[in-house]
Amino acid sequence: MDKPFFELRGISKYFAKVIANKDVSFSVNRGEVLALLGENGAGKSTCMKILYGLYNADEGEIYKNGQQIFIKSPKDAMKHKISMIQQHFSLVPAHTVTENIILGNVKGKINWTYEEQKIQDLANKYDLKVDSKKKIKDLTVGEQQKVEILKALYLEANLLIMDEPTAVLTPQEIDNLMNFVKDFSKQGNAVIFITHKLKEVMSVANRIIVMRSGRIYGNVKKEDTDETKLSKMMIEDSFEQIEKNEFSTYSDEVYLSVKNLTVKSNDGIPLINDISFEIHKGEIFGIAGVSGNGQQELCMTICGALKADKGSIKFNDLDITKLSIKERIALGMGYVPSDRHRYGMVMSMSLAENILLKTSYSKEWTKKGLIDRKKLSDKTNKIINDFKVKAPGPSSLAKELSGGNQQKVIVGREVENCGDFIIFDQPTRGLDLGAINNVHTSILNEKENKKAVMLVSTELSEIFTLCDRVAIFFKGEIQGIYNASDLNSEKIGLLMAGYKDEKEDING
Amino acid sequence: MDKKTRDILITSFLAVILGLILSGIMILFLGKNPISVFALLFSSMFRDGYTIGEIFVKATPLIFTSLAFAFTFKANLFNIGAQGQFYIGSLAAVSISLLIPHPIAIVLAIIFSFVLSGIWGGLIGYFKARFKANEFLISMMSTYVALNFMNYLLRTVLIEAKGEYPQTDSLARSTWLFKIVPGTRLHFGFILAVVVAILVWLLLYRTTLGFRIRAVGQNQEAARMSGVNPELIFVFTFFISGGLAGLAGVTEVNGVQHMLLQGFNPSIGAIGIGIAILANANPIGIIFASILFGALHVGGTIMGQISGVPSSIIDLMEGFVMVFVIISYFVRNKLEVNREKKLLLEGDN
Repeated sequence: MDKPFFELRGISKYFAKVIANKDVSFSVNRGEVLALLGENGAGKSTCMKILYGLYNADEGEIYKNGQQIFIKSPKDAMKHKISMIQQHFSLVPAHTVTENIILGNVKGKINWTYEEQKIQDLANKYDLKVDSKKKIKDLTVGEQQKVEILKALYLEANLLIMDEPTAVLTPQEIDNLMNFVKDFSKQGNAVIFITHKLKEVMSVANRIIVMRSGRIYGNVKKEDTDETKLSKMMIEDSFEQIEKNEFSTYSDEVYLSVKNLTVKSNDGIPLINDISFEIHKGEIFGIAGVSGNGQQELCMTICGALKADKGSIKFNDLDITKLSIKERIALGMGYVPSDRHRYGMVMSMSLAENILLKTSYSKEWTKKGLIDRKKLSDKTNKIINDFKVKAPGPSSLAKELSGGNQQKVIVGREVENCGDFIIFDQPTRGLDLGAINNVHTSILNEKENKKAVMLVSTELSEIFTLCDRVAIFFKGEIQGIYNASDLNSEKIGLLMAGYKDEKEDING
Repeated sequence: MDKKTRDILITSFLAVILGLILSGIMILFLGKNPISVFALLFSSMFRDGYTIGEIFVKATPLIFTSLAFAFTFKANLFNIGAQGQFYIGSLAAVSISLLIPHPIAIVLAIIFSFVLSGIWGGLIGYFKARFKANEFLISMMSTYVALNFMNYLLRTVLIEAKGEYPQTDSLARSTWLFKIVPGTRLHFGFILAVVVAILVWLLLYRTTLGFRIRAVGQNQEAARMSGVNPELIFVFTFFISGGLAGLAGVTEVNGVQHMLLQGFNPSIGAIGIGIAILANANPIGIIFASILFGALHVGGTIMGQISGVPSSIIDLMEGFVMVFVIISYFVRNKLEVNREKKLLLEGDN
């Protein structure tokens, strides 16, 4: 048998707090699509960043065609014809497509006609049509990804690494991407596809590497496996899918009402455009959509971090449009933000301090002006127990916990603090299935407790399992509000991609 | 004792020792025997009660200026302008003590120094909050404004009755801070400094306001999402920080100099920054670190007087120690990271 195209042997990488990769060895052959499967934080990206030279491995070696090579920087990687498309694209927004593609790869006087032609030829060859004269900032995310791919092709890459390429795409765009991947690999190139979505893996990969907490737990051919087997490899504990009551019930009483809400960015572009909905007592109201379509802005506006340009938000019949974050918290509004590192926690502080964070203005935590540390520590212990947080105690630092346990602390805090209404913004993003299960139970408990819940999620399964009604977001607007039972994946997929279906909108 | 505390003690100790060794080499270049010079340094430091008292006298203003730096540091802000805030505090203290030659002036001086230099410092926070100005630059430049303002006043309204030098008249004895140890210059200001350091610690670590300050320092966005207004915290933190530096003005004017003169204590702001880093911005640690620098200063001065080594060697010595103290901060971080990596590996096998 031939020597593998690229091979990693015994790669290990340690960060200050975590083992990112431990003894990772695998190879990829020409003409192969290799899927690197694993949950967020399993070490997939780190491993690929090592191959691409963004990180240097603490241990281990890299071989190309049986020869050891040294990749110290992306420049070295490009020399070996490796290209990587990052999760967050590295394009210059103010430059045109052509300028971005040739950036750093041309010297002296630029022959524009030649370069344009070269790019057009590549685009035609692989059916990746974009207007090469357009500026990046005017392109959709899907088109930007095409530019990234063209850039790799321009560099004549033979190994293309794609980090979660489908996360930002609509279902239709995903299909196109898959076709490209198959096409590209057929020409004797190799593709490494990082993902945590089983379906994509089964549809595109020839071979699958399963990673879990920085190690390889499986290296299988597609023919020898199926989705169930793969998901078992991905998770440690057996996972029980939560069953929701067949008939979702909620009362008619409105807890949160959003009317004609419009929020604009600083340059006047609407982030949210004229949306209205109501959330009732005991209802889980889902916001579905591809991420970045205004969902986070909606959460931020409801909790008070963004100002509404038009429209109103009413909470229990009280107009809160003009209230500050502090006042809204005092009214009993809970918020589990999507980016917990940035908005949810202070990582370098203790768990007890993080519990205090949201209610630091409340008198309940002070005794004679000083913090009642006993009370705070009791409360923290209660949350640790009730929400099954794996932590040594209230004084352990937040950053010492795993992502799932950090999220449990935030969920616990918000649930305990909130009165009638709670927002969950992508509450299970990046969590392992055990923690997802845990968070889902907490959300359903809130429904049981007759609170109103707003759940923003990009995972359709999450929307379908938990929500009573669903609003689909597209470019800052609501495509329609449906009873969850009236929707299926196909329909929601079309709505998320911007196809509107007026007839069946229950709010009509 | 946990490993982190141990690191702080060991690296800080080594920083001081290395600073002294390097200064020793400098002394060697001057043709003196560094060992005998240092022997003299330590023996002279403890030769009599007066000298020991002097160590604490020198430490007092340093406690305040390093508290000033540490307080903003906890909110991830940098107050480089303690020197200027100290001048404003000194001006307030001297003006009130000259106006009211009565013991009540001491209380008023403490209050007014704190408030006026607090406002002076708070302005830096306001500019940052309102205009997103860089507090580092503003605080640094504000020192020069304060310095020239002080010099202007010393040449005009505050100038001594004789009108000869740019300095004030001596304060009435009744407005002096009382001595706590007879036969020394050690005054009440030192006790004030220790009490204030403890209060600062309480504020930062035992009140919700202090908690919010630290939360803003460590994750401004999360604090904002929790209802904290970081801009307000900037202004408040700089107000307190300025006030703390201003209190050094009272202890120096009413406790030591009993007058205000041009070029008054020109480096206590800068040394305060080093001390705060040496103490890891911990208010209690600052008390001890300030005493250490007080001792170096006193020992160095005497050494300069009697060993024939030029007295500027003290500045050199303090400078070297400061450089190593700052290096030790990075060494500690590196040690901590390595330790965590090792722990991970052990847990792994």
